[in-house]
Amino acid sequence: MVAVHDVQTHPEHKPEHHRHHCLHLLVQTPRGLWSLQEPADAQRRPVFAWNSKIGLIISDAREVFGFVENDNKYVLLRGQEQLDPERTIASYHLQDGALLILSVQGGNAA
Amino acid sequence: MSIPAAVSLEAVQKDLAAAMPFAAAAGLILDTAALCANNLRFYVIFQNRQADKFYAEFDCRDYPLLPPTVEFMDEARQVRGLKHLYPNVFHSAPCVCMRYNRKAYGDLGGPHANWRLIDWHLPTPGGGPITSLALMISDMHTKILASSGRMRE
Repeated sequence: MVAVHDVQTHPEHKPEHHRHHCLHLLVQTPRGLWSLQEPADAQRRPVFAWNSKIGLIISDAREVFGFVENDNKYVLLRGQEQLDPERTIASYHLQDGALLILSVQGGNAA
Repeated sequence: MSIPAAVSLEAVQKDLAAAMPFAAAAGLILDTAALCANNLRFYVIFQNRQADKFYAEFDCRDYPLLPPTVEFMDEARQVRGLKHLYPNVFHSAPCVCMRYNRKAYGDLGGPHANWRLIDWHLPTPGGGPITSLALMISDMHTKILASSGRMRE
């Protein structure tokens, strides 16, 4: 298991934040699960400060799994609820260990 | 143009290894019980936010050389391809008008005569490439969630 302090953190994961101001999430994507253990070679773990925006989870998950196609739409879901990238984690009252889904949407031909 | 069924089966099973946990997390039911070299089909039950259920068949013959044929059916899998079986977010043909759906191609009676099957990995207008079964399920899941109901006949 990778310890949180061993993991490269995003600039928005401010070091002055105490552990209880962060939470870890599980993010299921079409290319695998992002967790504290998976994927084994991930350079970043899904540990976020409460005041991080949902958009940061999306961009970090995209980076971990190599979702480089900018023309696709990436949405983060809690069950069937689509989370707003501009809102914070705290505003959704997410629990430590919550499971979110990164869903990828392509185009739609007429 | 075809490839051995055993090759397709291996490719489908490899893709489904990623698709299954995604489908489970998303609350989708993925039925692969009948999947074998002689029957390269699996099924996914999608649902919108109004709890309408949509039953999709993925026929993966010649996958991954060619894309699957994606079709909506009734719950009993007896009736297929009728408008009321589709969520109202797809082409009114009716058809899932994506390059990953063989039904969308003009060669097979679909609306896109300008698409070539061999190019199915290319992006569909308005988005990027959708190149695996897990991504196809993800794409359809996101669109169907946003549907308000069934397509009208």
